[in-house]
Parts: sequence; C-alpha cells; structure tokens
Amino acid sequence: MSGSPRLLLATRSLVGVSLATRDRLLDVVARYREPESLAVTLSKAVGAGVDGVLASPLPVLFAAVAELKQTVPIYALLPALTEHERNDFEPGVEGLIERARGSAGLLARLRAGWSGLARPAALYRGDLARRLPLLIELEVARLSPRALKGVVLDACLTDLVLAAGKRAFFDSYCRFVRRRFGAAAGLETHNLGLLLARLREWDLRPDLVVGPLNPCGLMMKPSVAEVLDELKRTDVPVVAKELRAGGVVSLVRGAEFARSHGAYGLAPDLAEVEDVGTELRALGKG
Amino acid sequence: MTVPGLPAQHEIVDPTGPPAPRRPVRVAVAGLGRAGIAHAAAVSSIPGCELVGVVDARAAARRDVRGLGYDAPSFGSVAKLVARTQPDALFVSAGWQERGPIARAALEAGVAVCVDPPIAPTLAEAAAVVRLAAERNTPLASCHALACHPVFARARAILASGALGEIRQVRSSTYLSRVFSPESQQRAAPAESAGGALVHSALDLLFVLLWLLGPPVLVRATSRRFYGPFEDEIHTMMALPGGAEVGLDCSWSVPGYPRQSSVIEAEGANGKMLISDDALEVELASGHGPLPSGPLRLGHSELPQAARFDLGGETLYLADASFLAWVAGGPPPAGRGDAALEALRVMDVVYESARDGGKPIAFVAP
Repeated sequence: MSGSPRLLLATRSLVGVSLATRDRLLDVVARYREPESLAVTLSKAVGAGVDGVLASPLPVLFAAVAELKQTVPIYALLPALTEHERNDFEPGVEGLIERARGSAGLLARLRAGWSGLARPAALYRGDLARRLPLLIELEVARLSPRALKGVVLDACLTDLVLAAGKRAFFDSYCRFVRRRFGAAAGLETHNLGLLLARLREWDLRPDLVVGPLNPCGLMMKPSVAEVLDELKRTDVPVVAKELRAGGVVSLVRGAEFARSHGAYGLAPDLAEVEDVGTELRALGKG
Repeated sequence: MTVPGLPAQHEIVDPTGPPAPRRPVRVAVAGLGRAGIAHAAAVSSIPGCELVGVVDARAAARRDVRGLGYDAPSFGSVAKLVARTQPDALFVSAGWQERGPIARAALEAGVAVCVDPPIAPTLAEAAAVVRLAAERNTPLASCHALACHPVFARARAILASGALGEIRQVRSSTYLSRVFSPESQQRAAPAESAGGALVHSALDLLFVLLWLLGPPVLVRATSRRFYGPFEDEIHTMMALPGGAEVGLDCSWSVPGYPRQSSVIEAEGANGKMLISDDALEVELASGHGPLPSGPLRLGHSELPQAARFDLGGETLYLADASFLAWVAGGPPPAGRGDAALEALRVMDVVYESARDGGKPIAFVAP
C-alpha cells in the first residue's frame, strides 16, 4: 500500500470544519492564529512520525509551512474551502475553477491553461470529471512538488458524486492524480460504508479513503453495522477521522476502535489532540 | 442500536429508525443551486426513491448538475417536467420569487411539494399555496431541517412528556458569522428577500420554538441594520398563553461562529433544559418517567444517528426522507404546510413589531 499513510495530522478545524464543540473549535483557532504556532505544531507532528498533514492549501497552511526549513509532507484536501466559503459553495465545478484561478499565481494559471487545452470549457463546461484536473492544478500549485504526497477530494464533492453513482468520475480522478503528480489519490467521505461498497462494486481502489470511525458510531453511514462490514471486506486503505466523536471519547479509545475494525491509518484533527508530539508518537507506536 | 462502551444513561432514550417511504416514490427537484443539488443527492440515497427529473430555467445550472453525475432528465419548466416524468413529489429550492408559482403548478398537477423555507416571499402567497394543497388534498411541507436534528427532536419528546412541568421561561439564540459588509448582506439576502437575518438564518429556529411550545399570543421585537436594507440582528420576545416568555436573539454579523449555532434554554416548574447542536442537557428536580432527577447530558454523538446518508450533517436526509414517507402514506413531517405557515405568520408579526420600534402586537392564529 505504498503512498497510503498510516498516520496523518488533520488541520480542518482551523477553517471551522469539525465536529468538535464550538468552544473547542474557538480554542483551536485562537491557539493557531499565529503562523508560528501552527509551524511548531506541524514540526512536532513530523518529528512524532506522521506520514503527513491532511490540510487544504489555504493561506493559513502556507504561512505556517513558510516558517519551517524542513519539508512538511502534505495530503492536500481539495477544493480548499473555509467554512464561510463552504456555506456559499455552489456545487458546479466552474465556479470553483474561477475562484481558484483568481487566487492562483501566473505559473499555476499557465499550467492550468495547458491542462485546459485537453479539456476546453467550450466542450466540457460543467463536466466535473473532465474539468476537475484544472481545479486541482490551480489549487496545489503553491505546494512544492516535494511536499505533495497526496491529493484528497473533500467530502463535500466526493459525497455529491457518490450519491449520483458516477464511477467514471472516481476512476478518472484517481488516474489523473497518480499520473500528474505521482501522488496518492484519496477520497474523503462522510458516507464511508456506502463509498466502500461502491468502490468494491466498481472495482476501483484509490490510495486512501478518509472517513469517520468512532465507538459512538457518529457519522458512520449508512449504519454502523454496514460500515464495519464493509471494513472487513474492503481492500482500500481506510484512514479514520472523527476518532473522538466530537470529544465524547478519548483519542486512544477512538484509535483502538478504528484499528480493531480494520482502519489502515488514522487522521486525528488538531481539535482532537492536546499534546501533539506525545499523542501522535503514541498513536504511531500503537 | 446499543453501542459498546456508552454509559448506561443512554439506554433511557429509545432508538428511532430512519424515516423511509413504504412504497417507491418518483421524485423531482426544482432549482439547482446548492440546496437543490443537496436535495438531489439526499433523494438519490433514500431507499425506494428515484430521482426522475430536475428543473431549472438556467441552462448552466442544468449543465452543472449533469456534470456532477446526475443523469435524470432536466427541464426548463415545471410544466414540462411534470408532463414528461410524472413525479410523485417535488422539492422546490428555486429563488424566492419562483417558489410560489412552482409549488402551485406542481400542486395543481397533483404532485406533493416540499419547499425550502419560506414557502413564498409574502405571507399572502404562502397562505394561498397552503390553501391550494389543502383543497387538492396533496401533501405540502417546508423543509425545516433543524426540527430533524437528533438533539432538537429528542428535546421535543422530553418537553411533550411534561418532564419540565409548566414552562416558565425560554431563551433562544442563533448566531452566524456571515454578514460583515454591504456586499455580504447582498449575497446573503438578495433584494427580493422578505427580510434579513431572521428569515434567512433564524426561521428554522422560530419554527422549532413554535413546534416545541406552540404559538405565542403577544410578540414584540427590535432589530438593527448594519450593512444594508435588511436586519442584521433581531431581538424578539414572545408571550405564551400561560404567561411564559420566549426570547429569540438572532445575528449573522457576530464573530466566532463560522458554523451556525442555535441554542434553546427552557425553564419549567420541575427543572430546566438546554438544547444545542452539541448536546441536550436536562436537570430535573424530580425524576419523570425514565428521566432521573439531577443533571443528565445527552451528547449529539450519543443519540441515535438515523440518517443513512450524510451531506453536511444528517438533518437534510431526515427532513427529505420524512416528507417522502408522508407522500407514501406515512405520518406527516414536522414541517408540514400548515405548521410552516404558522411560523411565517409569527415572523410577519415579528417584522411588524420591529418596524414599529418594538411595539407589542397580539398574535391571533386564524
């Protein structure tokens, strides 16, 4: 399972995407307001042996990475949306491309333009499978190729396409990411049981699927029993998130639960960890 | 379902199965913005339901939904959709001005309708739609998703059991960090809107208050505008028939709420209850049925997670599935047309009082 991570540090709570309580979320945002604080934490995480950081390529990440001399392996969660943007997110791909183009540098726009030659808007406007590569080019452009270890499609897109049952999209997405970046192709989902079942039916195998797994069964869809059953049957590396079910159980218990039910890796979020170095090191040994 | 490791107190709540239609239902969606596509996704994942068509006057929106993989036939008008696909039910997520006409056209054709709130931009138009549904004996609902949130749904069961005793006071709030400039107000509340923060971000909470407590007899409200023609915050006090006061504070211009947060605190003769997106906390002086005396906390994650599909939370699935279950002969959902209309009537009085600088106005249910 090369390219499939065993341990990631997720930073989604920094942009407001988390099941943690509001108080905890505000606490995390305040703690990492300064890029230096996040940089120290990322450095500790790398020192503790994580395979990478699961994060959207947003200014908060770039500012922190810029503080560090070492390379931080990134599993880039795309499209990069803050919670505010998520609220206003119109699901069509063209709006996302325009938005990403507006904030991309010249080189990224040139690369995307080159990529767009094979997928011209005149022919394929609105076709997510055809046009997503442009969006990915634009969004990951600010990450160094050395740092980019994987691309993970955000659950807000994965689950929309999953509900539509579009196999071709998942197939072409995985092929593109592997071919273009030599990186792991991942999917984030909030419907883990359904996605694993579909991937099995479709005979598709992304390099990782990131989804909720916890002893409370929170967000384990379509049902806890079906998720656990699919975990037994799947050969897709599953990286478990929401291990603490919004803070109800300890990280250790959540990790034990996930691993004992077949999770290949773990992706605790900043909001789920108090002492990054110590807790991640312990998870790495577990 | 019993989850290993949960404290025994959780056994006091009965697990509820997901709502599901008893027979196959043919479903269509009108309005292909964010909410409409979410309905299309939810419908596609409800067992026994088939997405048979989508409608939007905008060709680009129809193209985008196809691009996401939804292959159901798309149409530019409801008339064509109904004629060609003969749906049993239609979700309406179109723009404000279009909702009423679309709902009426579908109801006239005998198609059950679920409209994103509010049903129509004016109270008179919403009332006409509800009247038409009653005349045609066709299901009509408004998608008040907060009523399907596991914590709020559980709170209603506890309140209805009389565990708190006579209600003395209720405070509630909903906050969101969304509008901090004229441009962001314009995005959040287009010119044709009936209002600002209340109708766009607190109508769900207002509906839930009425669903939990019944209609008020007196309403007074004050509002403030910071960024444009519509209110950015509103403070409402409502008096219940027994004399209890119900407060509702709403703002979408407050920092620290990247995710909308709604809270209700109720005090009764036998204790108090706090309902939030995170948890339900009850503290009773004397035990009531299976509820013990003293504090009890039921976290969201500890309550049954009934939805079979999650799309930014499970409330949308539950709201859609309960409406479609009604269409297929099951019980009506929380947001059925007459209940949704009552919330709009109260909202109308709230706005009237706010325009009059907080003058108390009697609310008389028709």
